[in-house]
Parts: sequence; structure tokens; C-alpha cells
Amino acid sequence: MNEITAFWGEWLRPSAGLPTVQWSLLLAVAAAAGHLVQRHLALPKVVGYSAVGAIAGLLGFPGAAWPLQGIGLFLLELGVSVVLFETGGRIALRWFRHNPMVLLQSLLEAALTYAAVYFTLLWLGVRPSVADALALISIASSPAVLSRVFGDMRAAGPVTERVIVLATLGALYALTLVAARAGMMHSEETNLLALLFPVAVVLGLSVVVGAGLALVLRTALRFMIPTSENTSILLITSIAAGTALASHFGGSAPLAALLAGLLLKQLNPRPWAWPRQLGTAASLLVMLSFVLVSVVAAQADWNPAVTGLVLALVAARGLAKIFGALLANPGSGTSWKQALMTGAAMSPMSSLALLLVAQFTAASPSLGPRIASIALPAILLVEVLGAIVATFVIQRAGEGTRPEPTAGTPASGVQRA
Amino acid sequence: MEPFRRSAPLTLGVELELQLVNTHDYDLAPYSDEMLRLMRKLELPGSVVPEMTSSMIEISTGVCDSTAHVLGELSQLRDALVRCADKLNIAVVGGGTHPFQQWHQQRIYDRPRFRELSELYGYLSKQFTIFGQHVHVGCPGADEALLMLHRMSRYIPHFIALSASSPYVQGQDTQFDSARLNSVFAFPMSGRAPFTLSWDGFEAFFAKTTRTGVVKSMKDFYWDIRPKPEYGTIEIRVFDTPLTIERAAALAGLVQSLASWFLHDQPFMPAEDDYMVYTYNRFQACRFGLEAVYVDPVSGRHMPLREHIQLTLQQIAPHAQRLGAWPAIEQVVQEAGKSLNDARWLRRQQMRERLLAEVVRQAGERFKGRG
Repeated sequence: MNEITAFWGEWLRPSAGLPTVQWSLLLAVAAAAGHLVQRHLALPKVVGYSAVGAIAGLLGFPGAAWPLQGIGLFLLELGVSVVLFETGGRIALRWFRHNPMVLLQSLLEAALTYAAVYFTLLWLGVRPSVADALALISIASSPAVLSRVFGDMRAAGPVTERVIVLATLGALYALTLVAARAGMMHSEETNLLALLFPVAVVLGLSVVVGAGLALVLRTALRFMIPTSENTSILLITSIAAGTALASHFGGSAPLAALLAGLLLKQLNPRPWAWPRQLGTAASLLVMLSFVLVSVVAAQADWNPAVTGLVLALVAARGLAKIFGALLANPGSGTSWKQALMTGAAMSPMSSLALLLVAQFTAASPSLGPRIASIALPAILLVEVLGAIVATFVIQRAGEGTRPEPTAGTPASGVQRA
Repeated sequence: MEPFRRSAPLTLGVELELQLVNTHDYDLAPYSDEMLRLMRKLELPGSVVPEMTSSMIEISTGVCDSTAHVLGELSQLRDALVRCADKLNIAVVGGGTHPFQQWHQQRIYDRPRFRELSELYGYLSKQFTIFGQHVHVGCPGADEALLMLHRMSRYIPHFIALSASSPYVQGQDTQFDSARLNSVFAFPMSGRAPFTLSWDGFEAFFAKTTRTGVVKSMKDFYWDIRPKPEYGTIEIRVFDTPLTIERAAALAGLVQSLASWFLHDQPFMPAEDDYMVYTYNRFQACRFGLEAVYVDPVSGRHMPLREHIQLTLQQIAPHAQRLGAWPAIEQVVQEAGKSLNDARWLRRQQMRERLLAEVVRQAGERFKGRG
């Protein structure tokens, strides 16, 4: 494939550069695949995006080399940030006062996931520092996959709501813990204060950027209508600026965006009308991140030893999430069946997990590749499988519409006529 | 049809259909199962039951003897609902319609009767995601119930205008104060009950309609007022669910005071001809609320409905005071004088906020007693 693109690059001199053409075409194919997968196989569109990305990755698509950097990394961060801002903005902290069991459910689910993945990998002979990193990454579900799947299904209800909230809280824990752990990797320092300094810098900067973003948007909403297109543009461009700033100064862009959403919800109790307005621009960004994740993840080195570890990680993580959701369910307002479904629906991992892997890779050139060799195939597997599981679960819970019928099948009324 | 049971005259029962909405975009949220499960664990008066679609819930008081009794029971039910909703991170809201819900996204609640209705009425059943208040008033006997029903029919426009709280449908201002009743009109068995003042005559009518197979029980009639033989009451069904339980209780007090006036003073005899202007008056009240024109069914005189409401309240004031209902309805009376009802409140909020979701949020606060 590289020879073909090299030849093509010689022949074609597009104004925006060859990678732009390659990415544009890849996204066009992914969009078509997403549509076809949903229409004819009744699977979520994300599966189509990921399949196209994975095939491109396996064929050696040159537009996304691991470790990610530059514009690719920025777009991935921006996609994750937009989603986390939106899901962070759904969390009203007063809910935890009325229903502390939800918070306990989240903490238990995260702690059990960490423990299950860590000890499973240790048992399979993975060294502790790698197992620890993979266990921290495993805490994160994918709010992006879940939002996309639920949006396509027009899902609404207690399981949907709980899954989004638990996934967002999980992202908060994972982003914070990974920032802390990556900051301390391979440090020769023994002084605790000096050890914690980089962590404090990452977290502090994220909080400052998040708070700044929230205040800007709070001010804008005093005179702008949430449903206006201009408010949506202001929102997305502010998040982009916040993402660039947070990354540039050494903070965590997704964490800043999540905190901004969370803070804005508390400062501004008015309803969030802009997710509907963000529309195609945000959808394109999120779709790009799915394709990017699978292109990158497909480049990982698949071998039997890694496959076993990946399957063990995925199984331990899935069970722990279900068990965690069940354990703190009594008194949380959902039935046992709903808690089981909540745990199961939290299986997807995607762009957020990839960003966490990138953080470890940047922090430790020696451990990073080992972490990525297990994490990347796991992410690709769970991005696709998790989306399918979440779709199935929401259908079983009766909270989402069924996939549209296969093309060419007339409605029963038409048949009768 | 079962025989008309005896009930204590002028006793009251109130049912309120309520909206369940999420707390991020304030659209309807399918949480009736969870709410019912949580509410079952609490000791409460009356009952809480599911409604046609899964974003609706219905609360009802037990048999009450006064407006204060109704308000007391509704307060207990409201406080419990708010607690359960807080636990589930949703809100409970009054109002006759949800201002911007999409009817096709609603899900029929999984119960045999609702499934049957959905099968029969198709999309109408999902468009029935509307929210009303029903008031039962106890009648001393079956014939007296029919007499009360047809007398009460003259006051249907008054009830509609005072309770109107459904100006917005599918995100648009319908220009009606009560657009909810237009959805009820689509049902084949809606409208008014047949004019007969004898229970034997009514039973004969019921036997004829059941023989045609069009209806099976009294539940199949969606009349504005219908007799409820198993309770020994008549049930008035034209009220939009008000935004507050205080207004709901006041409207029940108004019904009770009117019923008391009918029973004790026998002020007029209803006639079939009363219904000549019934549909016109009803339309006027739905469309213009308290600004409607009322046509007197006897004299044919046109007058502002607001004035007729004031006139009626003067006539029933002694009864309202005797029943202890006056303090509750006084505020509604004063507001009616200024053409204020819940539809006006909703429009005013929307004019200020320019965001229907925010109007729903504020209506939720009002239902809690904080707005």
C-alpha cells in the first residue's frame, strides 16, 4: 500500500496535502460502511467505522502512526473532549446527595475493574508495572461509543442514564489516576512532594482550564440562546481552544473538558439543548476518532501470547464491571436486571483508552510499547464488541428503538394492502 | 354494566396524570416502572398507577370529604413523588401537554389494556401522551348522578379555562390555551354523554352500544363527564393537569361547591337544548381560555367567560364557604379576574426564556412548590 500512495503522492499535488485526501476518502468510506452496517446487519454504525479503520490499519494506512502526535493526536483529544464535556454536563452532583448508592456503584465498579484486571494479568505473568497501567486504562469505558450508540437508538431510560453517568465518572477516575501514575513512572526521586509535583501540575492545569472554559460558557449563556447555531459554534471552538491550551501547558485536555461540563452544569442549571444542535460537526469529529482508533489499534502486533492476554483482560474487565454494578445496586433505584444490564453495557473502550495508552507511551519509552502491545488490540476488540453488547443490552432493557428494517421489506400494512 | 353504588354525596376523589422528564434536556423520560417500584415502598394515601405511555404516571387520592383533605393527600403523594424522582435523577411536572415531546418516540406501557388500545387506535394512542386531572364527586343515587352530570355540563368551559395548561404541542404554540382536549376529540367515543336523566334510560343506551360491539365497558367512553357506577360518582375529565397541586385541589373544591349548589338549591333543570351551544363554548374555552366568549344555553346571550365565572362563583360562594372550599378557590377566582391561568404562566416563561426545555424545568420547580 505504501508504494501505491508514494506513487500517488508523486502524481497528485492536492492543495491541502496528500494525508488530507487520504483521510477524507477513508472517512467517506467509513460513513458509507456505518450506514450499511446499520441498515443491513442491524448493528451500530460504530462497527462500520471501526471495521473500515481496522482494515485500513491492517493494510498499512500511512495516515496514523503510533505513537500518535501532531494534528492526529489533537483531533483525537478534541473528539474525546467534546464527548466528555457533553457527558460531564449531564451529571448533576445533587443526584449523589439524593442517591449516594450511584456514587458507590461507580467507585466499586472502578475499583473492582482495576483489581480484576491487575491480578488476572499478574497471574498470567505480566510484570506489575505493565499490569498496573493496563488495569488503570481498563477502568475507562467509552462515553463516545456509548453516546453514539444510544444516540442512534434514541435510547432513554434508567439503564441508559446510569451507563452514561458511570462511564463519565470512570473516565474522571481513569484520567486522574493515569495522569498521576504516568507522571511518576521511572522517577528516580524519592521525595514525596517532588513525586507529586508533576501530578499536581497535570491536575491543577486541567482544573484551571476546565474552570476557565466553564466560566466563558456560563458568561456566553447569559446572553446567547442555547439552541442557536452560534452558541454551538462558540461551544465547540471554546472546547478546541481549551484542548489545545491544556495539552500545550501539560494538562489533560479531556479531563479539563469533563470538569468544564461538570462545573457548568452546577453553575447553570438550565437545560442542555446544544447536543441536538452540535449535529454533524461533532458527529464527524467523533466518527473520525473511531476510525483513528481502529487504524492505530489494528497496527498492533497480534500473536497468540498477546491474544490470550487480551482475551483475559477483556473477560476480567467485563465481569468486574457487571459485579461492581450489581454489588452496590440495592437502594440505588434500579432492579437487579437493570444493574446487570448497566454493568454489561459499560464494556466499550475506544478513543479515551487510546489517549490513556498514549500518555503511558509518552511517559515511559521502555514500558509504553509493552503496555500498548496489549492495550491496542484490546481496545479494537472492545470498541466493536462493546458497541454490539451495548446495543443488545439497551434493546433488552426496552430503552431504545429497534434497528430500522432491511431495505426492500415493506411494512406489514403495505403487504396487507 | 354494574349497578350504581351508593356513595356519600359531595365526597371527592382526584386523579392527576403527571409527566416524568429527565434533568438534562427535560424531555419526557420512560421511568414509570421505576417510580412505581419506589412509590410502592412508601405508606401513602390513594394510589399510584401507570398510564398509557411509560413517561406518564397517575396519582389519585382516596375518598376525601373536603378540599383541605384533597390537598393534604395530594401533598403527601407529591412529596413522595419528588423524593423518588430525585433518587432517579428525573423530575415530575404538571401541565396538560409536554411542550416539545415527539409523540412517535413514546413507548406504550406494557399492560394488556394499553396494548389493546394501541392496537385499536394506532398512532392516536401515542398522541394520547397528554395529562389531565379527573375529579370524582359523590352522588346520592343513580338518577341524581345523571342530573348532576348534565347540570355540570354547562360549566365545562369554566373548568377548561381555569385549568388550561397545554398551549404548546410538539414545540409549537398552538394558540390554544388547552390543546390537550383536541387530542381527546380524535377518539370515537369522546364528547358528551347522551341526554337522559333516568338511570334506566342510560342502561338502555349502554346495552345498545355494547350490543353493537363498539364498546365493552364504561372505560371505553372518553366523554367529558361520565358516570362511574362502581364508585357512585360522576367523573369530570376536561381539566388539564394544573402546574401545582394547590390549583388541582382548588378545582376539586369548585366542583364540590357546584355540586352542593345543584343538590341543595336545584338551581335549574338541564335540557337537551343545553347542548346546542356546548361544542361552541367548549371550543372557545380551549382556544381562548379565560378570554373566551360564553354563550348562555338558555338565553343565547353572549358574554365574556371570565364574567360568567365570577357570576357563578358568587352563586356558589355560600356553598364553598360551608364546605371550607372558599379559601382554596379564592386565589383561583382572583387570578381568573386577571385572566391568569397556567397556560398564561407557561407562555410568559417562554417569552422570557425562549427555551421550552427551561420552561419545563421551571414548571418542575413549581410542581415541587418552589416555583
